[in-house]
Amino acid sequence: MTPFVQARGIGKSFGGLKALDGVDLDIHQGEVLALLGDNGAGKSTFVKILAGAQPQSRGEIRIEGRPVAFASPHDAARAGIATIYQELALSENLNVVENVFLGREVVRRVLGFPWLRRRAMRQRVDTLLRELDAHIPDPLARVGGMSGGQRQAVAIARALDQGGRLVIMDEPTAALAVAETRKVLKLVRQLAARNCAVILISHNIGDVFEVADRMAVFRRGRKIAERQRAATTPDEIVALITGAHPDARTADLAA
Amino acid sequence: MKLTSLPKARILVLFVLWLALLGLLAMFAPAFFQPAVLRSILQFSTVLALVSLGQALVVLGGGAGIDLAVGAMVSLVAILSMLAVRAGLPGFLLPPAAILLGGLLGLGNGLLVTRLGLLPLIATLGTLFLYGGLALALTGGGPVPGVPAWLFPFGRGTLGLVPWHFLAFVLPVFVLVALILSQTAWGRWVRAMGFRENAARLAGIPVSRVRLLLYVTSGLLAGMAALVTLAWFGSARPNIGQNLELESLAAVLVGGVSILGGAGGVFGVLAAVLFIVSLKTAMQFSNIATTWQVGAIGLLLILVLLIDRRTVRWNA
Repeated sequence: MTPFVQARGIGKSFGGLKALDGVDLDIHQGEVLALLGDNGAGKSTFVKILAGAQPQSRGEIRIEGRPVAFASPHDAARAGIATIYQELALSENLNVVENVFLGREVVRRVLGFPWLRRRAMRQRVDTLLRELDAHIPDPLARVGGMSGGQRQAVAIARALDQGGRLVIMDEPTAALAVAETRKVLKLVRQLAARNCAVILISHNIGDVFEVADRMAVFRRGRKIAERQRAATTPDEIVALITGAHPDARTADLAA
Repeated sequence: MKLTSLPKARILVLFVLWLALLGLLAMFAPAFFQPAVLRSILQFSTVLALVSLGQALVVLGGGAGIDLAVGAMVSLVAILSMLAVRAGLPGFLLPPAAILLGGLLGLGNGLLVTRLGLLPLIATLGTLFLYGGLALALTGGGPVPGVPAWLFPFGRGTLGLVPWHFLAFVLPVFVLVALILSQTAWGRWVRAMGFRENAARLAGIPVSRVRLLLYVTSGLLAGMAALVTLAWFGSARPNIGQNLELESLAAVLVGGVSILGGAGGVFGVLAAVLFIVSLKTAMQFSNIATTWQVGAIGLLLILVLLIDRRTVRWNA
């Protein structure tokens, strides 16, 4: 089966600085792929290129086998890549339904005005939240009063409704309490179970080992290792990230 | 405190203040309660209501939105459209011309804010002087007479106690804008961008275009207000819009729109306009000098915002 995304030889330079160099990576549907690495290792740059926020300097991205060039996040979204931003692009003064459909409301045009079809949107959100098994008692409650985990659920529902087939999550559990973190990790598995591809950036090795099927470690702009979860240990991954692992040293010397 | 409860709470506060005002009047100036006074309040409310609605939309849209040029637009539209009539514009084209001119002046404000990225306070302070100065310069400070007589009934006539312009302009535009804000995608966009512009942009809302249209709408409403003054006074006065910028801003804030954008409703603004005009009329009626009336609006503004702070603290 063709991977949903194939990245080949992706490089990104900022002036003389190589932020990303020769990264090859496949992303499969129904799989949670974790990107790990120190700050500045290149994982965020890689994700920004995938999300259409920055163009790559070198290399090619193929979606379902076809080469693509994203000029904007909008292009990426149309290709089925949805990004959940760290600062969650939600408006706290709007409720759950309003946020899920913000900017893409379901409307009926009468006399040129885009009248909201509230019931249609409400039903769609109810279905999404049920499928995600998200615990949001009242979809008409304002997002401003919700917990971090509930907000993640809203953002995920939004990504799904946009037809996201690859959902990119940047540190989704960074600011969450323990119980909330568990809920978000469960949501991540739900996404994979729906045959979505998920890219997860996280610094929390425990979280990563709980949800990821596969891990890719970035170091100094290169992808230095790729491991199936069953075939590795937290110690090995930490050693790869910090540079203590022999593979990491080899990569450092080659660079 | 829940964000939507703000406008509702404010309408309640205004209602209580209104009852208090009526109580005072009943005690000290019972002659106030006659139909003619009600008619006069509505007559004076139209212009302020129209420009306050535009002001409210601009403030709601956030981005430090404010339209200090509303009064200057009313003055300049009145002058320009009457100069056009004197230069040969057919009289029947005066109403659409005035509204269109207002839209163009509003477009000027909107372009300064959205294209040149000027802070709205600075951009519209500039056009306040520019438009207002132009209105004075074009006329040397005197009025421009010659409004077609067929317009007078629109400016002076009533249906029962309600002036025609209140029925024909104020009620429809407030209902229309309220519907747009609560029932259409555009209204949602305005509330979203007013509250959190970044989130709105990431969601793909064309923030700059919506904001430009809000300033244009404020201009269109100022054009309608200018038309009302022409039909009412029979001539264009270059200073007719004086003080409207601050009175409209007071009405918007007293009416429960958050100065930070994103929260508030238009009926609160209409209630505030009616209250402000009632207060001014009552003071007029009690022989309190006009100079004091301006101060009273300031006091009202501070009072209402203080009540708000108290309520927020109670609910927090």
